[in-house]
Amino acid sequence: MTDAPVLEMRDVTVSINGNPVVDHLSLHVDPGETLALVGESGCGKSLTALSVLNLLPDVATRSAGAINLQGSRIDTLSQRQMDAVRGSRIGMIFQEPVASLDPLMRIGRQITEALRLSGPVSSTEAEKRAIAMLDRVGIREPALRVTQYPFELSGGMCQRVMIAIAMIRQPALLIADEPTTALDVTIQAQILELMADLRRDLGTAVLLITHDMGVVAEIADRIAVMYAGRIVETGPVNEVLGTPAHPYTALLLRTVPRIDGPRKKMLPAIEGIVPEATDWPEGCRFRDRCPLATEICAEMPPLAAKGRESHRAACWHSDRVAEVA
Amino acid sequence: MSIEPLIQVRDLKVHFPVRRGFLGRHGDPVKAVDGISFDLSAGETLAIVGESGSGKSTTGYAILGMEQPTSGTIMIAGQDRAGMNATDRRAITRRVQIVFQDPASALNPRMSIGDSITEPLQIHGIGSAKSRRDKAAELLALVGLQPNAANRLPGAFSGGQRQRVVIARALALDPDVIVCDEAVSALDVSIQSQILNLLLQLQGDLGLAYLFISHDLSVVHHIADRIAVMQAGVIVEQGTVEAIFDNPQSEYTRQLLDAVPSSPLLSPRP
Repeated sequence: MTDAPVLEMRDVTVSINGNPVVDHLSLHVDPGETLALVGESGCGKSLTALSVLNLLPDVATRSAGAINLQGSRIDTLSQRQMDAVRGSRIGMIFQEPVASLDPLMRIGRQITEALRLSGPVSSTEAEKRAIAMLDRVGIREPALRVTQYPFELSGGMCQRVMIAIAMIRQPALLIADEPTTALDVTIQAQILELMADLRRDLGTAVLLITHDMGVVAEIADRIAVMYAGRIVETGPVNEVLGTPAHPYTALLLRTVPRIDGPRKKMLPAIEGIVPEATDWPEGCRFRDRCPLATEICAEMPPLAAKGRESHRAACWHSDRVAEVA
Repeated sequence: MSIEPLIQVRDLKVHFPVRRGFLGRHGDPVKAVDGISFDLSAGETLAIVGESGSGKSTTGYAILGMEQPTSGTIMIAGQDRAGMNATDRRAITRRVQIVFQDPASALNPRMSIGDSITEPLQIHGIGSAKSRRDKAAELLALVGLQPNAANRLPGAFSGGQRQRVVIARALALDPDVIVCDEAVSALDVSIQSQILNLLLQLQGDLGLAYLFISHDLSVVHHIADRIAVMQAGVIVEQGTVEAIFDNPQSEYTRQLLDAVPSSPLLSPRP
């Protein structure tokens, strides 16, 4: 693609108490594409997303790197300047839709409030656009819903409202942090379909944070797998899921029970636990849990090209990954 | 072992009253569980699947005696739970234990792992302090933890390790049945598979029966022998895993199965 990336992060480091928890991370999201950032709890994927928004918790600081949105730096902006970026150029949806909405404010008001931040709109016009947006995200009887409160809506409907709020100003980038994790499986499928629809119609680039490879396979174009603060493998979804080049990715894919997999058999488990940021091993951080580890793994492997189509992995033993999967 | 099922549930209803108005007039009750029947035999895994609010957890709680049934019978090892005196109830409690979803809130943060595991023994007045300590070490080994874990507090352990502790505690009274209420749902995928492996291994070694309450059809497909699909308080379909997955009879089961992300990209390679 020739267009400049919508989001480009270069060498971004986020530290808590001086310990890096996101460590020299680089990624980009191209116009109209969905990049899935995948990993287990504590790998730094949510902090990566929050660092883009400049919404890191107080204990965390961004200590290095550059973040570009549509070609211009945003990591150097003040909070006040970021206020103009969040919502208008970057939309956000989070895991808990019900907790993300104001329980005491009518649905319509929560949508028009977002709209009004980008300039004066008459209240009839704002309401009209709110109703149209609710209709667009698949909420039935939108004219009734704008008068209701979040508690009157189901979890799935609240997530649709969140998506309406995030999309009403047509941001260039949507950051979705585990958008379907808290939802029932039938609702999850509907929300994923809606996100794919909106992306197709509006051309929004999406940074999707998830731990669920099923969701990744369903809607992502590219994937970046994080482990202990670093990206260990990245590339087009079909490449990475089809021929993983990092043993962590391969094991992650195989360790999940499958609806079409064998039953009542021991799953290929990843032994041990994700190390805390304070005791990351020297070199490859996965080596203590890795069945392929050798002496060379005491040295940090570079994120190097493997095979075709910008598929890259940080492993000295990429050629042997088929042995674990 | 007798041939009758360990747990026999017949036409179980659990309704919750709803008070309306300032005079406290009764509205229509919430029918969380509304007339369900199933059996659980020794050594088997019956999964109850359904979405939030379907009544699957309430069913588990009723079997454990944590919720009072509105009507219907729950027979445990041939005894009606409703007709039991306190002594019988205590004896039955030893045979049916539970593992909850969130290991962080299921353990007392100020109580050592060893004390948490042996608390059921203490409550039931089983063994001496010394024999209980030995039992704790034995249980920790059984769930794959070091014996010295007994002296530490839950805060020193990861989520997966805490779930192992919760499982060890559930095993302390040598139960026949463990109700697993979304027991792996809150865990990371790499930890989830470790715990599923542990549950399968314990079932093989100890002949446990599991009532496995879950919303995750892939997990259920992996671990269960039979499945009961619940929707809005009733079982819409039950059968063997093969029957439910290969030939679902109810429209709702089909919807649930269709909603599971199942890209061919993730299919196991031959």
